[in-house]
Amino acid sequence: MREVHWKLLQYIAGIGIFFLVGYHLIFSHFQSDEITEWSSVSDRAANAGWLTFYVLILIFGIYHVLHGIRGIILEFSLPPSAVKVLDWSIVLIGVAVFGYAVYIPINGFIG
Amino acid sequence: MEAANKGKAPLQNRLGIKGWAWAGRYKIERYLYTLHRLTGLGLAAYITIHMIANGFRLGGQGSWEDIMSIFGTSGFKVGEYLVMAAFIIHALNGGRLMLQHLGITLGKPKPPVYPYVDSLRRKRSLIWVMLALMAALAIYTLVAFVIGE
Repeated sequence: MREVHWKLLQYIAGIGIFFLVGYHLIFSHFQSDEITEWSSVSDRAANAGWLTFYVLILIFGIYHVLHGIRGIILEFSLPPSAVKVLDWSIVLIGVAVFGYAVYIPINGFIG
Repeated sequence: MEAANKGKAPLQNRLGIKGWAWAGRYKIERYLYTLHRLTGLGLAAYITIHMIANGFRLGGQGSWEDIMSIFGTSGFKVGEYLVMAAFIIHALNGGRLMLQHLGITLGKPKPPVYPYVDSLRRKRSLIWVMLALMAALAIYTLVAFVIGE
């Protein structure tokens, strides 16, 4: 894929985050404190809809953050070999973070 | 152009991070670029903390309630507001960048007649509307936070 395709994915992820995280922030912070109570958290964890919601947030969020950080680092004029190392490091970090972060809602859903 | 530059060493970024803040007479778009970076990095830091905190759910109810008691303090409430404000700024400015990158809000091309005005500055009203919206939403969120306390 060319840079422009990664950039378009960045935009798509950004739009996804706007709606999903926007809803998440409003739902979490403008509602009562009950939202962070264990019973409420457990109820949401057992719901397939919320699981899908969290997984989508993670996919969009991790891609958007890591691609954004890559863009900032690339402004520091790296040689092509370092860009390759950076790209692979970002892929590995993304997979590792996604693995850790997605385990939490999946564990809650199964458990 | 991308193919032509493939494998070539990039031009040196001599200013480094200092260039985010100052390299002569920057226009408002350049400061919005810096603000976009700062809010993005701030949100990335918050998301990292958020994911670590979510991990406490795996430890059961006691572990979860312990970590939530820390987040209930007034210092974290201020932090939560800053996260909301950063989200508003990053989202609205990101939307503007998308529209301008895709050429949707740049207007029709004009001949380069002196004094030259680039397409971003011809459409600066978009920026003023966006800044007004940012301020209105940030104030609304602040009021909602204060009333919610």
